[in-house]
Amino acid sequence: MSKVIVNAQMPLSYDSGQHNLLVFLEQHKQSVSFQCREGFCGACRCKLISGEVRYLQEPLAFVRKGEFLPCCSVPIGDISIEIPK
Amino acid sequence: MAYTTFNRNINDQLKEPMFFGNAVNVSRYDQQKYPIFEKLIEKQLSFFWRPEEIDVSKDRIDFQQLPDHEKHIFLSNLKYQTLLDSVQGRSPNVALLPIVSIPELETWIETWAFSETIHSRSYTHIVRNITAEPHKVFDDIMLNEKILERAQDVTRYYDALIDGVNLYQRCGEGNHNINGNIESITLRELKKRLYLCMMSVNVLEAIRFYVSFACSFAFAERELMEGNAKIIRLIARDEALHLTGTQHILNIMASGDDDPEMAEIARECEEDAYAIFMLAAEQEKDWAAYLFKDGSMIGLNKDILCQYVEYITNSRMQAVGLKPRFATTQNPIPWINTWLVSDNVQVAPQESEISSYLVGQIDNEVDSDEFGDFDL
Ligand code: FES
Repeated sequence: MSKVIVNAQMPLSYDSGQHNLLVFLEQHKQSVSFQCREGFCGACRCKLISGEVRYLQEPLAFVRKGEFLPCCSVPIGDISIEIPK
Repeated sequence: MAYTTFNRNINDQLKEPMFFGNAVNVSRYDQQKYPIFEKLIEKQLSFFWRPEEIDVSKDRIDFQQLPDHEKHIFLSNLKYQTLLDSVQGRSPNVALLPIVSIPELETWIETWAFSETIHSRSYTHIVRNITAEPHKVFDDIMLNEKILERAQDVTRYYDALIDGVNLYQRCGEGNHNINGNIESITLRELKKRLYLCMMSVNVLEAIRFYVSFACSFAFAERELMEGNAKIIRLIARDEALHLTGTQHILNIMASGDDDPEMAEIARECEEDAYAIFMLAAEQEKDWAAYLFKDGSMIGLNKDILCQYVEYITNSRMQAVGLKPRFATTQNPIPWINTWLVSDNVQVAPQESEISSYLVGQIDNEVDSDEFGDFDL
């Protein structure tokens, strides 16, 4: 189980073996933009403030340092993220 | 300097910049400076589809029943899409192939442009089906002022680059007397034209196309023109990949790792880049006004489409490292996401079957009963 802090709010708990982070965030009523849900369009790009994520498949979309794609990743341990507005 | 189709210089391709180095000689992919481009090629090839696979016959009945102002929206939108893909089907090849210097990027450019030609052919497939007089639709593209206005800005940066490259490859840097006119060109100026051209391509793929997709899907949300929407979904999936390719090129340029001068140019051109985005947003809003001039449709009107223009412009600006300039932060048409999502992941509620991935599939399950009437 890891903690996922979104936009500095109360932490949400993520059970390992759950879906990718995009599905997880949607289940917690967080609105994240998306298109492909497969890591190639970049629409879901979020900021990774602290912690680490693991990619389930290698993303093709451009990801800058300090950013990650929730549609194809899962957290490794606790993470804190920011969903762009 | 002059372009050659097989550069005899023995060079280390891994040391070439993306553009304006040695022309590519051997198309080899055993070593790659930027493997991302080959991954994009593979993905694009895995997306391969043909317009003829999609049944658009029900759209004919839908179209005939649309009120006139909705026919205007549908056809104008289709004409605009046709214009955009006419440009995109050729321009990356004509503008970028003479100056590209690494093989995986060269092949990506060709793959990218080829997929746009599939889009162009699919518009003909759609138009042929909904009207007995397809020529009227296509002929109007060259006459319609609203469309021609857009063509102007979509092609301007490509043309400036092509023109400069022609001069440079023929005469080199400096001032040249061309038929009595003095024309001057420098490599730095060419790099600047290239950078602005890529920005404008990004705007075309990432904003202009998406505004048109919104219109296509607004019909399908009402279970109208669904064959068209199926095609547009495939086009949208391709475009998502193309714009990723363009964003990679822009970001590699801006990083300076590839060509330090390009990073300077990116900084120098920041205001121009903002201007390209803002102008395109204004034009798309104007276009929205033209589309809805005779009336709105359920689920979409001029104001909503304009808000979407602002929303998508903001997010695309951020993707290439610019600051958003509009106040809109919410997607005013969240339903578009269901249509934009890749086919194989989730099927939109209105769709009963997955349209792609059926190519070359054969049903391997044969029951022994089926041989019942066989005599040997
Ligand atoms: S939704 Fe496309 S990269 Fe995440």
